Amino acid sequence: MPINPGNPSRQKHAPVDIQFDRTWFSELEQRLNKNGPWDDFTLFGLAYEAEQSRIVSSFDELQCLKHLSNLEPLPHQIDTATKVLHEMRGRAILADEVGLGKTIEAGLILKEYLVRGLARKVLILVPASLVLQWVRELNQKFGIPAVAQKKEYTWHYDVVVASMDTAKRDPHKDLLLSNEYDMLIIDEAHKLKNKKTTNYQFITQLRKKYCLLLTATPVQNDLSELYNLITLLKPGQLGGVGDFAANFIVGKRLPKNEGQLQKELSKVMIRNRRSDGNIGFTKRFVKNVPLTLSDEELDLYNGVTTFVKERYNELNGDISSMLSLVTLQREVCSSRDAVFLTLINLSKKTPPDSPIHAKIWELVEKIKRIKANTKAEKALELIEEMNDKVIIFTEYRQTQDYLLNFFRSKDIIAVPYSGGMNRGKKDWMMDLFRSRAQIMIATEAGGEGINLQFCHHMINFDLPWNPMRVEQRIGRVHRLGQTNDVKIYNLSTSGTIEEHILNLLHEKINMFELVIGQLDVILERMEKQDSLEKRLYKMMLEANSEDEIRANVDSLGKSFKEIANTVASEPYVEKEPEVEAN
Amino acid sequence: MVMSAKQVQQYVLRYLDTTNCHIIEKSPGHVIVKLSPQADRELTNRPYYWGYVDRTGVEPETMKFCFIFDRNKMSDLPPDPPPGPGMNAFRLLKEDVPYGSRRLDQFFQAAKTGGSYVHLFEQPTSEQKSIPASTPYEPWLGLNIKIEFACDMKREELHSLGISMITGEIAEQFCDDMLTRKMTPRLPANVHVTRGSMTLSRAKNMLEQYVEKKLKSYDDTWAVEARDRLKDEIARIDSYYEVLLKTDDEEQKKTVEDQYANRTQELTWQYDPRIRVSVINCGIFHIRAHDMQ
Repeated sequence: MPINPGNPSRQKHAPVDIQFDRTWFSELEQRLNKNGPWDDFTLFGLAYEAEQSRIVSSFDELQCLKHLSNLEPLPHQIDTATKVLHEMRGRAILADEVGLGKTIEAGLILKEYLVRGLARKVLILVPASLVLQWVRELNQKFGIPAVAQKKEYTWHYDVVVASMDTAKRDPHKDLLLSNEYDMLIIDEAHKLKNKKTTNYQFITQLRKKYCLLLTATPVQNDLSELYNLITLLKPGQLGGVGDFAANFIVGKRLPKNEGQLQKELSKVMIRNRRSDGNIGFTKRFVKNVPLTLSDEELDLYNGVTTFVKERYNELNGDISSMLSLVTLQREVCSSRDAVFLTLINLSKKTPPDSPIHAKIWELVEKIKRIKANTKAEKALELIEEMNDKVIIFTEYRQTQDYLLNFFRSKDIIAVPYSGGMNRGKKDWMMDLFRSRAQIMIATEAGGEGINLQFCHHMINFDLPWNPMRVEQRIGRVHRLGQTNDVKIYNLSTSGTIEEHILNLLHEKINMFELVIGQLDVILERMEKQDSLEKRLYKMMLEANSEDEIRANVDSLGKSFKEIANTVASEPYVEKEPEVEAN
Repeated sequence: MVMSAKQVQQYVLRYLDTTNCHIIEKSPGHVIVKLSPQADRELTNRPYYWGYVDRTGVEPETMKFCFIFDRNKMSDLPPDPPPGPGMNAFRLLKEDVPYGSRRLDQFFQAAKTGGSYVHLFEQPTSEQKSIPASTPYEPWLGLNIKIEFACDMKREELHSLGISMITGEIAEQFCDDMLTRKMTPRLPANVHVTRGSMTLSRAKNMLEQYVEKKLKSYDDTWAVEARDRLKDEIARIDSYYEVLLKTDDEEQKKTVEDQYANRTQELTWQYDPRIRVSVINCGIFHIRAHDMQ
């Protein structure tokens, strides 16, 4: 759509410009002179009827919903779209917490503008890994013919999804800057927090009419990040740079004049939270299932623990080679199959004359003595009891294989799901799980596309040590659209490191029952020096007693809670109460 | 007014019928059809294929589709043949056509392409035929127009106007009236066409004036409010850039000025109210004189 070069400061009641399209006139005249050719009257009538059906007769009645047959948006998503269209005038930050459907909201807004003919040329910039997902969602859910940018000519399509890294580079950059976009959508917009980056400057230069910035974490470290985002959308909304600092900031993350800041923010940003009453999440129920290892399993566990400690001491705390040792220690809580493979690999890497070989074979002997997997037996018992679909998560491929065979031998249909599978295979496994299998055994929780609303039981066969991954697992089943309460079973072997991890994640952080808002922000702040996972590794390898581990876990839990409280009390992303009352 | 599944079906069937497509099977929920060349060109997005046909003059092979309107109202379809080389030509493409689908939009577009300019005569009634004298017909210019009221939001109106090229009389809902009559592209017997005393250009101008006058009587609150919003927005960026423009660094000043100009232009683009009147399709209709009450 061309920019109308009208003068904005003219008289209020000056008549509105009327543009008459007259292209029809010369065409009709020509056909009259030449006596044809003439079109079909039925088609003439059908064209008129088509227009009748899609005429948009009101400024504010939402049209997009009538055009979506493959999607039923949730109330908060519709509210958000409506607010962006009617109050924010198409320029907004969508800052919902993860999992509430920011993409759906953006899709609704885009569809509305497309249906109304207010947008045609649209640019969507997202991280490279999300390009295809966006294209797929826009096409399938919204019927929007979006294309992924691949070649230079792709830019000429109306709705293009591209990665920011491609777009800002030559030769693409100049092309995009010479265009005018009716709508610009940027996903993961918190990456634009720094004014000095080329990304930021590129977006400032782009010409756009409507603009949506999507981010789950509008502020990660510093209030000025939020200021920069808003300046992209609406320069001056929070005053000039100096005004903003003077009026709203006390400390880096500490605002002043909160009420005023909230009010200004609510004009450009919408943040829905899981804890908002109007968002339909079901409950989570958690059951920890303590297990006692069989004598043979315990023997292996103790053997591995001693082995790991000895190797670690020999390495003098060398972090780099500690990973496989930690893995070993964790695997022994999962299945003997997992331990076995890691031991074999370790043996291959060890010089042939090393005395370690003897120790490894000693452990292999212990593995051979194990006849049954206590956890698998327990899982089977649980599954028979619930008699319903269930997803089992494990960290290890070998455990996954073992379980597949185990359930097959019990005549229960189970399907695998792994990160390494290609898209088609993943979809196929999902279909099989939905239609035929009782069990899905997954090694991967992250990534797109595994949406298991039809399943509400989940078993953590073993636990990741990274809370984000735990949350991702739960997020696969406990998500919007899940109509049942979700039941989570954590299998934990008594007297092992697993017990401590579960203690940290469950008792201390309360990971399973609560949805922790902004988990990523909390972790980022907590992990200033070392990742939580790494700290746990060190703690496990260096502790001399159970009590020492317990004390360490306590202190980790405490610092997590403190940071969580601080984050929660930072109010600049809270919605205004009045807004909610509407 | 959104179409129901049934209306969509009727719409599609009328299109297929009028473009001479071959209906193979039909139920209240679906239709299986072999497209006519005309419909194939419009609907299958195969410009290279049709370019080839046009160049070489080979007999075209049009595509077969199964359009589904309501899955609850149809019997099961035959299964696909096993895949193999060359089987694509025989495979039945099954497609749901709900309202809002791209396929339906394509039918809409196809109707518009094939139904833009008409020149028609009203069929004589039986009484008319029995009278020995020739009946005088009066030419009307008919326009279906869309009026768009746009700022950062938009609303539209659809009008169908007709003007007698003899008397200058203007009728609303003109197309609706024409659609109730029997029309034919050929001049019927026993009818004589009166030459319009008005040029096409004059008729066009009169219709435009009519529309303009009509629009003047409309409530313009929407436009006044849009201009208020625009003023507020301009004030906001003015205050923001005012400070930045005070810099002494010439290079930076240039950058800021460019940005400022871009932002101002974007705001006008976004908010400035405008009305656009466009013609969907049009034609000349010869109907019995003095028959437009």
